[in-house]
Amino acid sequence: MATRHSKLARGEALTGYLFIVPQMLGFIILVLVPLVMVFIYSFESRNLLFGNMGFTGLDNYKTLVEDDLFFLTLKNTIIFSLGVVPLNLVLSLALALYLGAASAGTKVVRSVIFLPVITSGVAWAIVFKYLFQGGDAGPINYILSFIGIEGPNWLHEKGWAMVAVVISRVLKNLGMNVLIFMGAVMNLPQDVLEAGRIDGATKPVLFWKIKLPLLMPSILMVMIVTVIGSMRVFDTIKLMTDGGPEGSTMVLVYYIYHQAFKTFNIGYASAVAVVLFLIVLLLTVIQWSLRRRASFYED
Amino acid sequence: MKTKALKKTIYYIVVALIVVVFIYPFWWMVTNSLNSINEIFDKPSLLPKSWMWKNYIEIFLVQPFARHYLNTILVALLGTAGNVLISALSGYAFARLRFPGRSALFILLLTALMMPIEVTIVPMYFMMNKIGANDSLVPLILIPIFCSQGAFSAFMLRQHFITVPKELEEAARLDGLKPAGIFFRIMLPISVPVLSSAAILAFLSVWNMYLEPLVFVSSLDKFTLPLSLSNFNDTYGLPQWNLQLAATTLSVIPVMIFYLIFQNKISDAMVSSGMK
Amino acid sequence: MRFFRKVTCALLLMALIAVPVMAQGSQESGGASTGPVEIKIATWTSNPDQIALLNSFVDEFAAKEGIEINAEFESIEFGEYNTKLSLELQGSEAPDVFWVLETSAPAFIQSGLLAPLDAELAEYNPEDFSAKAMELWQSNGVTYAVPFSTSPFFILYNADLFAAAGIPTPEELVAEGNWNWDTFRQSSKAIKDATGVWGYQTVDGGGYDVRILHNLCPIIRSYGGDAWTSDGQILINTPESAAAVQLFHDMVFVDGSVVPPGDQSNFFAGVAAMTAAQVSRVSNLADADFAWGVAPMPAGPMGDVPIIGQAGIGAFSKSDNVEIAKKLVAYMTNESCVARMAGIWPPARKTVLESEDFLTSQPLLTADQMSVAVASSIETGRVLPSHVMYPQIEVESRIIWDRLWTPDADVQAVLDAVAECYAKYIK
Repeated sequence: MATRHSKLARGEALTGYLFIVPQMLGFIILVLVPLVMVFIYSFESRNLLFGNMGFTGLDNYKTLVEDDLFFLTLKNTIIFSLGVVPLNLVLSLALALYLGAASAGTKVVRSVIFLPVITSGVAWAIVFKYLFQGGDAGPINYILSFIGIEGPNWLHEKGWAMVAVVISRVLKNLGMNVLIFMGAVMNLPQDVLEAGRIDGATKPVLFWKIKLPLLMPSILMVMIVTVIGSMRVFDTIKLMTDGGPEGSTMVLVYYIYHQAFKTFNIGYASAVAVVLFLIVLLLTVIQWSLRRRASFYED
Repeated sequence: MKTKALKKTIYYIVVALIVVVFIYPFWWMVTNSLNSINEIFDKPSLLPKSWMWKNYIEIFLVQPFARHYLNTILVALLGTAGNVLISALSGYAFARLRFPGRSALFILLLTALMMPIEVTIVPMYFMMNKIGANDSLVPLILIPIFCSQGAFSAFMLRQHFITVPKELEEAARLDGLKPAGIFFRIMLPISVPVLSSAAILAFLSVWNMYLEPLVFVSSLDKFTLPLSLSNFNDTYGLPQWNLQLAATTLSVIPVMIFYLIFQNKISDAMVSSGMK
Repeated sequence: MRFFRKVTCALLLMALIAVPVMAQGSQESGGASTGPVEIKIATWTSNPDQIALLNSFVDEFAAKEGIEINAEFESIEFGEYNTKLSLELQGSEAPDVFWVLETSAPAFIQSGLLAPLDAELAEYNPEDFSAKAMELWQSNGVTYAVPFSTSPFFILYNADLFAAAGIPTPEELVAEGNWNWDTFRQSSKAIKDATGVWGYQTVDGGGYDVRILHNLCPIIRSYGGDAWTSDGQILINTPESAAAVQLFHDMVFVDGSVVPPGDQSNFFAGVAAMTAAQVSRVSNLADADFAWGVAPMPAGPMGDVPIIGQAGIGAFSKSDNVEIAKKLVAYMTNESCVARMAGIWPPARKTVLESEDFLTSQPLLTADQMSVAVASSIETGRVLPSHVMYPQIEVESRIIWDRLWTPDADVQAVLDAVAECYAKYIK
């Protein structure tokens, strides 16, 4: 019996390994190895045109610490995330809760709000670049002019450019989060809510004390995805503002692209990439520990 | 009674507002894809001014747009299929099969989940160069399968397989099925909704890829749609706005139709499988 | 079990084999020693007529050498040219022959990516090229690329709009001897005020960002300033430069007569009365539904100081077919080929420039226009400043230049900051 059991277990283990081999192999080659390489590159003076000019220790990191532009991009990335994440989360949760029940209107909203999600980021950015045209010709400014507002030259004025990319980005991804939250709201345990109602909980109490805690796992999940998505913004920036004006929308990822492929500083770009990696790692660790605390049904 | 009517009115205003906000960009795109360049930058109007259908012919003459379309579909199909298949295998193994090192390996894999491709794209470029895979669609297919989207699907499917009642497997085992048989004959069929949401998400991530083709692809005949759309320029790099909008419209509409036909299934898959 | 093993094995094989196999597919086109030679040529033009012309040179060259050449032309978008080209030069799909942007010439030469061409150019008459035209493409006396285009900037104008505004055209002002930056500014404003159409569009609409130096240097230099000089002096914040930049700034923000940042109004579509351009852009006017003319760039206090945009062609030093590529570059820039390109890309060869044919080489321009706006400027014109670190300079200074494009910008302060940025690299 014992041998038969261990044979079974061995068979299961073998199957398990075979099942994970494709994924793990690809993971090692396409994720782990490049990750190690990016660390190595970051200690080298590497140039796309001139090749590898050797190990230079911490030189790239020293440059980084003194690079105003790097800190500007870091700041911009944070501003962008602080714009996108709360706006996206609050709007999508509010919409999901407000629209809640499956009425005709809700179905329509669910359809149209998902359209940007299935539109490629490039197509969306192209359209929004036009919509945010300055002057009277820009559709958004044209609409604003009806209510007596003279719109700015959105993509070419410092400050407004960031607002414009944040808006276009939030509208692009809102639908996905609304859909996820709608699912979460639908899956709320009705008996618990009912019990709350019977106990005479007012609407705000019901929301803050019962619904919100129950929705926490979903909220955190959506938050992780949205935060990291906003750290990765590239197409919107490249196509709408090209990082301008005055570098006010130059974000980390675009800076890496610029350093590596526009100014050919592969080594330095790698150092910036390492920073991006550390930031994402930190965010992930924070969010996972939060998630672990908030989650009810994780093994 | 009054408040109820008011509530209803507000509800419909909110709905109408959302519809306008989300439909207008597309409306504007379609309208102006039928305009001349100058008309695009004139005062906005709700309908095309000159109905220039020839914009839609010209986009195929300016660059091999049909080829770009096919490339994108090929990459999306292979990328999505590979992603779902491989992550279903590993997701199941990590959820249900016992083998030494299981949790350690899973946690290792999770590092990919949150790792943006932007971190590793530079060394990956040189790696692909070494194996001669640059300027081909290969990296564009491999990335969604194995990088963060792959890990994401594996994670999502593992979470799903964990929730499948153990009794199902026990019964199958008693019927003499091996783990592989259980996976293919029982687990996969009952997981179609989750698999399809993983597929939808993978498809969307492929569909959105821009940095990757920008770096890995250089020949015009290997462009994907996002590259193609941002490449409507005349001889000296001046954008051909009307053509760009016509091409953008063509790239958006089919997916949109597909979505509108299957939207109930798609939304249900997303909602019910709940990315928890 | 067997079934699933098969599946897993198949998957594994797929993953392992797919990469090399598919990659091989892309490598097959590499140069084989037998059969036709594959030559890939990278350019930033996508104009079919221009490509056809270049292709005819390749065919002639092949016939002359008695070899078969399959030429593949690759058109890379101008804005992405350096990025894409540099990436390709690292890989197996590298072009054998490619155009080089003037601003990146020093970087490409110093990185060793360009093959030295002196042996192939030996049969050229060195007198035919002015030293000034070749300066950018040589290093330590060795030539690494040949300028196939030495094209001055001039003003294209929409004669209908000038007539509508009832003011003399630039050509009439030239004849009066009264064509300078002040009359240019007045004309631009007069047109905007009278017709509501923009008076001036910067070069290719990129004057605020990607083409900022092409836009500002003509004014700056004719005021006696410069961006920087080849011996490392930074002049961008001198009073002369500042006065010139102030003039342009006032045109944009005081007069409101220049197509502003972000606005896509285009001269060639008839919605701007003037623009700065080169001969190669003239073909865009073949179907123009308005009357147009050309005039040299306006003069400043220091007189008429034309700016020339150069483009070179070179051979990739690590190409499998580098010897053929080098010869091809030499062939494509010989007197006969250069003469035939002259109507699109004015050459640096004196014999061609001085020939009668040159003045009639662009069918849309009269000999007179060609002589006044193009030929005379090639002799006196200068290229833009360049530097081996140009890409860095461009990216970094761009962020500072952006500060200029607000109505209340302090021009001198911005230029001081630009100078500070330049000083990091230019010594």
